[in-house]
Amino acid sequence: MNSGVWKEVGCAKLWNEWCRTMDTVHLSPTDAFCVFYQLKSDPSVFLCQCSCYIAEDQQFQWLEKVFGSQPRKNMQVTVLTCRHVTEYKTSESTCSLPSPFLRALKTQKFKDCACCPLLEQPNIVHDLPAAVLSYCQVWKIPAVLYLCYTDVMKLDLVTVEAFKPVLSSSGLKCLVKNIPESTEILKKLMTTNEIQSNIYT
Amino acid sequence: MFVPCGESVPDLTNFTLLMPAVSVGNVGQLAIDLIISTLNMSKIGYFYTDCLVPMVGNNPYATAEENSDELSINTEVYALPSRKLVVLQLRSIFIKYKSKSFCEKLLAWVKSSSCARIIVLSSSHSYHRNDVQLRSTPFRYLLTPSMQKSVQNKIKSLNWLEMEKSKCIPEMSDSEFCIRIPGGGITKTLYDESCSKEIQMAVLLKFVSEGDNIPDAVSLVEYLNEWLQIVKPSSNNCTACALPWKIPSSWRLLFGSGLPPALF
Repeated sequence: MNSGVWKEVGCAKLWNEWCRTMDTVHLSPTDAFCVFYQLKSDPSVFLCQCSCYIAEDQQFQWLEKVFGSQPRKNMQVTVLTCRHVTEYKTSESTCSLPSPFLRALKTQKFKDCACCPLLEQPNIVHDLPAAVLSYCQVWKIPAVLYLCYTDVMKLDLVTVEAFKPVLSSSGLKCLVKNIPESTEILKKLMTTNEIQSNIYT
Repeated sequence: MFVPCGESVPDLTNFTLLMPAVSVGNVGQLAIDLIISTLNMSKIGYFYTDCLVPMVGNNPYATAEENSDELSINTEVYALPSRKLVVLQLRSIFIKYKSKSFCEKLLAWVKSSSCARIIVLSSSHSYHRNDVQLRSTPFRYLLTPSMQKSVQNKIKSLNWLEMEKSKCIPEMSDSEFCIRIPGGGITKTLYDESCSKEIQMAVLLKFVSEGDNIPDAVSLVEYLNEWLQIVKPSSNNCTACALPWKIPSSWRLLFGSGLPPALF
């Protein structure tokens, strides 16, 4: 989002037990749970930032509201998400895994190569990313999910940097400028968002 | 609703639909996995509803690098036209209050696609057995009235035991008796709905406990195989040979990842 000018074009408001905000009628943009942005230089590009948990009984309705009941064939969807490394099943111990690391899942109609290995069985994905990918698979929409397995519970630079290969993928590289300087840009973005958490100060 | 993988809807007239109930030990689902894997069935579509928790993963029946990257979702339909078999696999649990809606949508699809009959593979809590059930085989069957007419003789020849009725309210001494399938998920609902809609349905279930339920799944498909003969022994000479069930590649790490060496 730092690379272009984005216009906020909508939001999806919902409530479930995991939401922190009680008032769902008068949400401010900072409270709104799923905000949709449109790229000003290319109005065919939309971005959705989901900052809350969408419960399993809300996912289907979320999809219908966002994608509509008539699926569009000429669109491509990219989903970025994270999971804790302990959810990754492997014959080795998870302690020995080089986290953070990326894995991908793609629908049948997604013909490009993923920029990381595909998610190996018996690993599976749940929640909204799974709902989106299922929708795209069923309605034959090209879609790719990039999943970062990380060993930290809150946002950090190392985890975000794990997504760097994705920035060079065919779907996203036209949206990102200054890829060599991305580390510096990310550091600045992380510092502004970090909440002071040192209990000794 | 059923959404085909290809451009056209396959003709399922007179096919037998096999499906699992999400039940204790996931035995029905494991059994269906075995059937799809062994018969190398092809995916023909999805049963896309808002009734089950979404999940995705790569091909759970992958046999090689080439077919390992096909995406699978929570409800998929596979077919083996040469045997007039169609299989529905369920890979996640029902969303709260949606199971009845799913049963209605499923049975409506079965009727509209003119399937001949449905066979539900299920399981029930073994700790609910009465004394008679404890001393007998753990397998039971149920047939809807319309199914009884066509297969009763075959079932009788197999010497199978029908699921016994038990007290509707166990604590009441004068309670009426009815079919109860504790731990059976949607089995009872599907059975009752099929009875009232005159759909030919059979339920095959096993009394099981939670744990490593792979042996239960193998024995349940062998129970089904006594009737349908979907898989023959690999050698004609050996009458006591194990049937060649193919374990799916996704049946790995069922009890978690590897252990850290530092633990020892």
